[in-house]
Amino acid sequence: MSYEKLFESDISNEAAKAWRAQGKKALGVICCHVPEEIFYAADVLPVRMRATNCVDSSAAETWMSSFSCSFAKSILQYWLDGTYELDGLVVSDGCMMASRVYDNAKYINERGDNSKFIMQIGAPRKANARTVPFFRAELQDLIDALEKLTGNKITDEKLKAAAAKCNEARALVNQVYELRREKNPVISGTDMLKLTLSATNMPIDEYIELLKAFLADAKNRAPITDSRARIMLIGSALDNPEYIKVIEEKGGLVVADALCFGARGFNEPLVTDDKDVLTSIAKYYLDRLVCPRMMDKHIEMHDFIIKSVRDYKADGVIYQRMQNCECWGGENVLLEQRLKDEGIPLLTVEREEHMANAGQLSIRAEAFVEMIEKED
Amino acid sequence: MADIKDLEGLVLKGEMTITEFACTKIDASIERMKERNPDLLWTMEIQKFMWDGFRDAHKNGKKLVFYGGSVPTELIAAFDCVGFYLDTIPFRLSTNPSLTAKYIDEAEKYVGASMCGLDKVELGAWLSGAYGLQPDMFIYNSVPCDSSRVAYPAMEKIIGVPTFSFDMPFRRDERGAEYLADQMEDLIAFMEEHTGHKLDWDKLKYYMENANRNFTLQKKCADLRINKPCPMPGRLLVLNGTTNAVACYPIMGDLYESELEAGQMMVDLGMGVCEDEKYRIAMLQNMIWGNAGIMDWMQKEYNAVAVMDAFGFQGDIMYEHMDDRRDCFKTMGRKMQNNPMIHGASGPSEHHVKLVEQIFERYEPNVSMFLGHVGCKHTWASAKMVSDMVQEKFGLPTLYLDLDAIDGRYKSGDEIKAQIAEYFETVVMR
Repeated sequence: MSYEKLFESDISNEAAKAWRAQGKKALGVICCHVPEEIFYAADVLPVRMRATNCVDSSAAETWMSSFSCSFAKSILQYWLDGTYELDGLVVSDGCMMASRVYDNAKYINERGDNSKFIMQIGAPRKANARTVPFFRAELQDLIDALEKLTGNKITDEKLKAAAAKCNEARALVNQVYELRREKNPVISGTDMLKLTLSATNMPIDEYIELLKAFLADAKNRAPITDSRARIMLIGSALDNPEYIKVIEEKGGLVVADALCFGARGFNEPLVTDDKDVLTSIAKYYLDRLVCPRMMDKHIEMHDFIIKSVRDYKADGVIYQRMQNCECWGGENVLLEQRLKDEGIPLLTVEREEHMANAGQLSIRAEAFVEMIEKED
Repeated sequence: MADIKDLEGLVLKGEMTITEFACTKIDASIERMKERNPDLLWTMEIQKFMWDGFRDAHKNGKKLVFYGGSVPTELIAAFDCVGFYLDTIPFRLSTNPSLTAKYIDEAEKYVGASMCGLDKVELGAWLSGAYGLQPDMFIYNSVPCDSSRVAYPAMEKIIGVPTFSFDMPFRRDERGAEYLADQMEDLIAFMEEHTGHKLDWDKLKYYMENANRNFTLQKKCADLRINKPCPMPGRLLVLNGTTNAVACYPIMGDLYESELEAGQMMVDLGMGVCEDEKYRIAMLQNMIWGNAGIMDWMQKEYNAVAVMDAFGFQGDIMYEHMDDRRDCFKTMGRKMQNNPMIHGASGPSEHHVKLVEQIFERYEPNVSMFLGHVGCKHTWASAKMVSDMVQEKFGLPTLYLDLDAIDGRYKSGDEIKAQIAEYFETVVMR
């Protein structure tokens, strides 16, 4: 079975079209705190929104101004210009930029033909005994709304079955990540990001089959032997494999990451509790480490980064932060010193969604690689 | 009395703390005002009350509580603690650009340049050891924005004192009010543990009654601005919008009483702040703390007065059932969601749109301006929805003008004036 589709990271409407052709709904999702399990349990295709290859977000900028994060603006651009053909949008208040994509999309929809299903769920910024019940109630609202939209009843059994599917995909992606621990891994960082991004282009069953095919063939792939240094990449939402390619072309092989479209988007398995399946989903999504939007998880995120550097034998960390992305913009206050204490070199770079500064990144990545590369 | 530049120099060299600087500067302003403008002393007295209170908290045997975002100041006061609103520092220093620049540069060693200047000053000043205050506790909220959500947790770790944080729901509904009321109970447990005292309900009631009085008076002051000509200067909007810190103390009510008296006298005399009021400006965003003199300039130059702004304009949420603990805490939560900078900016954009619509219906402005702070990215991301409504319902275009409320290097007062002048001359006066 060919698994090449895993490496097609351009945004594709193919799956959503096919899904909708069966009379079913496909909804856009922003961002990490909207549980895909609930969508699959309602027989709705969740399409995590991204903006790969968006080079002109001028229409969205009219709505969100030049002071907004270009990733969020570009998503709104794709929503407005029809790049995505979906039945609606479900947004959690991941950050204020995500919230404003929701606000503007809702406003535009209501002033137009009001044909889209647009919903927001509140996701707490702390994970504890107070916040989980609140989030559970928000998720129940989502369930109620999806049941009304589709006419499909969402039962605990369906949620558990969906969680099992998502867990299977998570486990398979984690197996691919394991391959990157090797001295000469068989997958580059560029391809790894393509592989995780492609999850947004297809239904989960298809994704699982392709991942299995890839893993079965992994031993036949040529190991990468020409890198000069091993890199861990962290920071703002990155949905453009070309960005990693620039770093890898300079000899910095990206072997680990803390990216919401990468490792962090898959994470550990969701363990459902039969007594209250929805609470276990709420707890999982608040507990998992994906984004520094969670006010009480910064240290945990830093621990994860340091552990990953060790586990994947990375020689240094590249921290890319999107301009106007405040969630990731402040990590250095505490992280920089911690990495220093651990003897882990750090390169901090700013970027925009549009790959406007590829030349500068190339020069800085090359200098960083030269600084951290080790003699064998 | 040292010249203000000398004082700035001392702070820049680390020989004077921000607290000493603020107290000295306020005392000097009061002395000048006694000579030149004794009728306006009330505008400074509140600042003296605040800063002297922060400085002397420990001397007076009180615990000092740093807080960020909107938190229930009534509870802090009821535990006999002095609350220090972190935003007070950038507000205070915003007219001293060399100082804000120093602390912004210090913060930018670690954070992105796009972070809000308020948070950068708060963080940078703490990292520079410049506060001159040592807190006993820290309380913060997950609002108003992504910048503060990053800055406050980082400061929590750096400051290293017992800390409590709220999680503010995005929407304003009953579930959110219940959620915040639950968190009030958690805060009380925290305060009881760290002050060693049980909550005294009568004391809390006293501060809730004060808050009711203050917001009633604030609304009356706002209502005076409905009059034509408008009897109150635009500058006072800037002051009223920054009064979170003392919203439950009697002195806040005293300020409003003075403001009300002065405004009512003008109304009775049929006078306005402009000699011949031509333009009534609605500010859709109004964060010109470093350049509040622009309000005076617009009044003088164009007979244009800012009648209301969507930053400081508040609804009238009051405590109604003071012996009903749950009801009080839900009201407290709703008030937190309705604070300036929180109400229109950090929830759904439709609140900002509705707020501005109310302003237009009530104050009948004929000029619309959005003087947007560049750090307030999420407010900018709502601006078109707001200004579209103004255009469609009230037939007015809106001036968009970017500025940095705190960092004077971004755009000078003269540049801001030039852009406003161009707007008046090419759009408003045509």
